[in-house]
Amino acid sequence: MNLSRPATPLHDRPAPRRWTQLDPMLLIVTLLLIGYGLVMTYSTTAETRTFTGDPMQFVIRGAIWAAIGMAAMAAIALFDYAWLGAFAPLLYVFTLGLLSVVLAIGTSSLGAQRSVNIAGLSFQFSEVAKVLMIIVLAKFFADRRASIGSPLTMLLGLALLAPAVLLVYRQPDLGTSLVFIAIFFGIAFLAGARIWQLVALVAIAAASFPVVWSLLKDYQRGRLSAFLDPYADPQGAGWNIIQSLIAVGSGGATGKGLTAGTQSPLGYLPIAESDFVFSGLAEDLGFAGAVILFALYIVLLIAALRVALRSKDPFGMLIGAGIATMLLFQIMVNVGMAISLMPVTGIPLPFISHGGSSLVSICFALGVLQSISMRREPEGP
Amino acid sequence: MRQDERSFVPIRRFIAFGISIFVIFSTLTARLYDLEIVRGDYYHQLSEQNRIVRLPVAAERGGIVDRTGYVLARNVPGFAISVIPVDLPRTREEELSQRLGSLIDVSSESVGDAIRAQRIRNPYEPVRISKTPVPREIALAVTERAELFPGVRVDPESIRFYADGTLYAPVIGYTGPITEQELSTLKDSGYLADDDLGRTGIEDVYEQYLRGAYGWREVERDAAQREIKTLALQRPTVGDTVALTIDDRLQKLLDAELRKGVEEDKFTQAVGVAMNPQNGEILAMVSIPGYDNNMFARGITTAELDALNADDRHPLVNKAIGDRYPAGSTFKMVTGLSALSEGTATRDTVVNVSASSFSVSGTSFFDWRAHGPLNFVTGFAHSSDIYFYTLAGGSPMAPNVKGVGPDAIAKYARMLGFGSPTGIDLPNENGGIMPDPAWKLATFDEPWTIGNTYQEAIGQGFVAVTPLQLLNAYAAVANGGTLWQPHLLKQVTDAAGKNVPIPAWNSQKLDMTQENLRLLRESARLVVTSGHAYMPNAKLPIAGKTGTAEFGSSTGKDSAGRNKLGFHNWFVSFVPQANNTDPTAQIAMVIFTYDSSKSLCELCLNPAVGMTQRILEQYLGANK
Repeated sequence: MNLSRPATPLHDRPAPRRWTQLDPMLLIVTLLLIGYGLVMTYSTTAETRTFTGDPMQFVIRGAIWAAIGMAAMAAIALFDYAWLGAFAPLLYVFTLGLLSVVLAIGTSSLGAQRSVNIAGLSFQFSEVAKVLMIIVLAKFFADRRASIGSPLTMLLGLALLAPAVLLVYRQPDLGTSLVFIAIFFGIAFLAGARIWQLVALVAIAAASFPVVWSLLKDYQRGRLSAFLDPYADPQGAGWNIIQSLIAVGSGGATGKGLTAGTQSPLGYLPIAESDFVFSGLAEDLGFAGAVILFALYIVLLIAALRVALRSKDPFGMLIGAGIATMLLFQIMVNVGMAISLMPVTGIPLPFISHGGSSLVSICFALGVLQSISMRREPEGP
Repeated sequence: MRQDERSFVPIRRFIAFGISIFVIFSTLTARLYDLEIVRGDYYHQLSEQNRIVRLPVAAERGGIVDRTGYVLARNVPGFAISVIPVDLPRTREEELSQRLGSLIDVSSESVGDAIRAQRIRNPYEPVRISKTPVPREIALAVTERAELFPGVRVDPESIRFYADGTLYAPVIGYTGPITEQELSTLKDSGYLADDDLGRTGIEDVYEQYLRGAYGWREVERDAAQREIKTLALQRPTVGDTVALTIDDRLQKLLDAELRKGVEEDKFTQAVGVAMNPQNGEILAMVSIPGYDNNMFARGITTAELDALNADDRHPLVNKAIGDRYPAGSTFKMVTGLSALSEGTATRDTVVNVSASSFSVSGTSFFDWRAHGPLNFVTGFAHSSDIYFYTLAGGSPMAPNVKGVGPDAIAKYARMLGFGSPTGIDLPNENGGIMPDPAWKLATFDEPWTIGNTYQEAIGQGFVAVTPLQLLNAYAAVANGGTLWQPHLLKQVTDAAGKNVPIPAWNSQKLDMTQENLRLLRESARLVVTSGHAYMPNAKLPIAGKTGTAEFGSSTGKDSAGRNKLGFHNWFVSFVPQANNTDPTAQIAMVIFTYDSSKSLCELCLNPAVGMTQRILEQYLGANK
């Protein structure tokens, strides 16, 4: 009953690391998803049409990134996440710095400046920025539990969020800026924000839609109208959506088999190993493959929520909430886009989309979750 | 205590979060179920259609040969030059446009425009640069110096080649690209947007045989429409070979004579047609001036087409069937047969042509001389106008002879095929005009006069015939009374050498007695032996009838600097086996010269007669 340890400046309460409290379900599902992702990378890039001599090179690169990701996950799990809270203001500045660097010296691909080349590798800083922003927002709301009901807290939180969203939007990467906004809502919701305030924010956003519409680039507007009616311009804006639907639908119950899909290797699916990777997955492995993936995701999300639920302090809980929100939102938008329930936005599908920055960032986030899990209160008797 | 410490955990909100996870995944799963399980087959089909495309493989067009197998139309290999923009660096675009343009005679701007447009449309797909087939040497120049021609592709294609272009163009015609309108109706029969089809002549009429059956290739292709691999192949079937009834040797004899006459400015246009009276087979058909149909096969230029259209002699028209002319005295055969068949005249009907004219109601009607007494045979042989005026409408010169009348003449003329197309297997046949009183009333709202009857009797006035109609009518007389559907198709053989069934040809029996037909043949023979078409040193028992129709001024030059001679001349002939009148003639021929010399005289300046003698003697002499 008695507190045996004095509180440290970092913690509300002292936090010893307990290896036994590592979340095994979270770890196992993480490894399974990383494996699934490598299989899909293999399947969608197997065709020699990738213009390179070695069809396995994407898989090898993916495996290297997976190893880096797992190392990052282990390293971060060793650290007490409370340090992250202590350095939250610094992390915030660092985040905005990273996003500014992308705008300043980023290389452009497909009309957007999203990555920075360092030593021949390309990094998408916005992927890391999402995770850092989760920590910053979690710290912000955890520290303001007393004034959570005040609109001022909300506005301050929004003020914190806005520069990051704008910087990402300028790349332009509408999808990722939406992820930032989703994270904000997820954390605010579990931090106990007043429901009416959240609803009001959504209402304001909806009311300002015409303004937003006018700010959108032509291609973004095209994507939105194509989402509403892909067959209005089947060779243009509707092409991606139609081809994605064909890929998904043609997979049937059990799919055409790994590497046997025709839509992505023949180039009908754009960015088949990344944005539209789910379409390739559904084509190759069918409904069954998709349902297995969903099951793994649900386990992952439940595990993340459980870590949040058991966290010994609000900061840990809100980090968990933010990570779960980020994952859920990305899955929903990416899969929804592939099956035409969502407009086309370039958001990677966690673990499955081929891309080092995304994978390492998620592993980093899950490392933080393990750190939270290991430092929770032991189970009661 | 512990409960209090963890009061920061909003259990209900966690539950709400969990529910939203459940709702989101349920929605995604339901949608996937609909796409993959419920509509899986539909989308599977779509993905196959995406991936697999059935491309047509063009069939070689069938050849056209004469009756002996001499090749008149065939295909020779040519090449098409295209550019694949993605393989052409932008920096070399200008240089390549210039080089390619000068090589294949296309402006470098249009080459560059085509490449730039394709770069936007689909840079992976080749865009065709050569508008017309490119010869082998140029294709070789491009492939051998590939480094000078980045992104350039050379594909074989076939060019239609006509061995004796100008000689046969009026008969064979040419092929040309299909129009959008034609495509919409022919799409179902397998025609493609870039297809050629027969545009006129035999190429048009026998398109169904010549075309062949396209094959197809099923290829897998990627989103950029590049072919990945061929999955299945159905070979095309080569078009059938069409053999014509034409005898190239006779065609060339006929053409040589007529062409010489035009070149020597004895007449400005000429038509010659020969046929076998026993079955309606056309043995030769020449229309001068013509055109070289190879110009169309390789893609005619605007300048060439303008030149053809500017020629007032209408070189694009096959004048053997496509235009109508006054028949002149050749039509006396019809007037004579009408009177004989109606019984108003016999072999012994005598008209004493005591003067070279007579007048009726104040109008004078002329003959070319005062012949004296003539019976049917001598009247025909000397081509007496007054004799046939009398048979047609009566005259003061022979008050006891009753004219047969214009309706009877029109009736027998139509029986002989005048006034309507003969049904030859060529497009754009003119039906000519066969007038009668009802026709004149309907057309001009004027009553028929005796003058009209006289004019009709000698093939002038309203009567207008095509050379083929005239030939066919004489052939019916020559063969003993059968009017055949003249035709050019002899036989069709498929790629395996087997005969393909062809339509049967129509024939009609004339409602005329053998005796009267024989009398006509006898009279026509006399035309050559002692009459109007006297042939010196004749080696063949040729029979025939001349005709001359006044046409215009007979002095000066026309706008193209050609002599204006003012007359059309005809000679229709046939060659009976014996020196008199048997109906076994194997050849009948008509020669028509446009704007040539007058020939109403004993010395016979009708150029058609001499040409006929030379042609038939060379042709049949060598044949025997």
